[in-house]
Amino acid sequence: MSEGLLPGEVVLEGASRAFRVRQDRSRTLKELVVRRRHNVAQASVQALQDVSVRIAPGEAVGLVGRNGAGKSSTLSCLAGILPLDSGRAGCGGRVVSLLELGAGFGADFSGRENIYLNGALHGFEREEIEQRIGDIVAFSELGEFIDLPVRVYSSGMFLRLGFSIAAYLDADVMLIDEILAVGDESFQRKCFARISERMAAGSTLVLVSHDPGAIERVCRRVVVLDGGRVSFDGDVPAGLLHYHRLLGTAAGASRKVPAEERRPLEVLELELRDADGHPRRAFQPGEALRVAILLGSSEPTDRAVVALEVRGERGEKCFRTDTTLAAVAGEVEVSFEIPRLGLLGGDYDIAVGAYVQDAPPSRGLDRLTRFTVTAVTDGEGIADLRGSWSVAGRPAAEEALR
Amino acid sequence: MLRYRFLFEQMVRRELRQKYKGSALGVLWYLVNPLVLMGAYALVFSVLLRVAGGIPDYPLFLLVGLIVWVFFSQALLAAAPSLVSNGALVRKVRFPREAIPAAVATVQLVTFLVMLVLVLPVALLVRGTVEPALLWLLPIVALLFCMVLGVSLAVSVLHAHFRDVEPVLAAALLPWFFLTPIFLRVEDLPGVAEREWLAGLLQWGNPIAPFVDAVREVLYAGIAPSGGHFAYLAGVGLLALGGGLLLFRSMERDLAAML
Repeated sequence: MSEGLLPGEVVLEGASRAFRVRQDRSRTLKELVVRRRHNVAQASVQALQDVSVRIAPGEAVGLVGRNGAGKSSTLSCLAGILPLDSGRAGCGGRVVSLLELGAGFGADFSGRENIYLNGALHGFEREEIEQRIGDIVAFSELGEFIDLPVRVYSSGMFLRLGFSIAAYLDADVMLIDEILAVGDESFQRKCFARISERMAAGSTLVLVSHDPGAIERVCRRVVVLDGGRVSFDGDVPAGLLHYHRLLGTAAGASRKVPAEERRPLEVLELELRDADGHPRRAFQPGEALRVAILLGSSEPTDRAVVALEVRGERGEKCFRTDTTLAAVAGEVEVSFEIPRLGLLGGDYDIAVGAYVQDAPPSRGLDRLTRFTVTAVTDGEGIADLRGSWSVAGRPAAEEALR
Repeated sequence: MLRYRFLFEQMVRRELRQKYKGSALGVLWYLVNPLVLMGAYALVFSVLLRVAGGIPDYPLFLLVGLIVWVFFSQALLAAAPSLVSNGALVRKVRFPREAIPAAVATVQLVTFLVMLVLVLPVALLVRGTVEPALLWLLPIVALLFCMVLGVSLAVSVLHAHFRDVEPVLAAALLPWFFLTPIFLRVEDLPGVAEREWLAGLLQWGNPIAPFVDAVREVLYAGIAPSGGHFAYLAGVGLLALGGGLLLFRSMERDLAAML
């Protein structure tokens, strides 16, 4: 839509935007008439201050920051909804935005009719929408609800419809605000897979999310906004770390248990880290993963057992191991190192528990953390066995090319 | 504008659905309002006050003027809050915002056209003749729509900036209604006989009056508008549309932050 930009290119240059504080209420004629010449300048909030970001076609960028940091304003400016006070904001090619669930829907329209309405709002023509409507309806999995008025939809169904439309209109740029969280796990996974497909096809994504897991799953770059300024722009692990420092929390760590609640031996913290020691929630098959466990004992114990279990999406056991520690006093960090993650794409839980030998825990392995393996290899199931096919001694891929 | 034809069509369908909730009879209910007004005014002016004595088929005369007025006033009242009530859409999706008031005005046009189609055979039946002058209805209605569209664009964006435009409009429409020659032609008003300037003012100073007059003369009397009369309609229609569009464009910039 903006001139001089490649399809899929996204640019913010010295973008600044302020809001009048009482902008929730617009002026009345009376205020206009009786306003004094020497009126006190209205207080304003600077939503964006000199923000410069350049995103290349095909990039997936996560936009994070505290509430009021300017994330949504940035998306609105990029979408061309909100004008800037100064600077430049623009997206090259066709843009689809998903800034609010159900925005741009007619409540009395059926899901199907809303696909046309929403497509039209994003500048698509009837024929273009007709070509895609089959895919959109299929992806949404709305079944017979697609022909019911959307006023009966749940928020999850709104997301299904809205995301399906945005993901299948084949825009060059997708702007998505914090909405994916409404979907259930399996639909979220489908969304992320579809987003990856769009990225591979050269589309650009700007995703606002408070969920580090979502950012890790799809983004390769993070821009952290703070007080309307860019406070970090770089790779995902460092970006999320920066963001969590802003929040004043450690990434991925679970809450420390107050001392009085402590049992004799307990897992105080559980964190997943990558090869560089950065906290992470999403890994690729074959990557290194370290499970860092902070163990605490209220009284010195010998023969402490730490057990760890990896579970699949339906709770099925993929792997279990334990170790016995000679002596534990106070806090000690134990870690379990997986040099090459041999799991296929999907969501997994790691459950960890600690107990004194011969006195098994009453609560089982009660510390859980979830992680995602992003699918890059083919195959179904859990274990990534890294096999390859061959036909008559030739690798199958080469055979297929002939 | 042509580029957005599909969007416009979708927006009109959305408005229509919202208004009539898919009921086929819904649009007919909008006939009730002018019909009730017609009955009441016919009673007051023709029977009780006896000022409309010289006008044959007075209820038809009233009805034709009333449907023009109802179209004009309902479109304005619906268009004024339209941007504000579609705030979520304006704040979250980028599209030409003119589509919102234009769709609202178009829905009123659809209602108006339905009424015209229903009144037309009645008028022909009452008069018993069919004149070629009826064809003038098409350009007159087109220009009337241009005027209504232009004013709708203007009041919607003004209301978004100054929230008291709608109540001011609602208050102004009632006296405006009485100053519009709907009950009687201007020249038949007893009070203007010795004040020619007042007749001119009422006839040409009120931009809706010549439209009411033109539609009525064609439909009720089968008389085509004079060249000057039609030129006035064209001037007002195009000027209102151009002015409304210009005003909208100059005031729409920061709508997303305002709603």
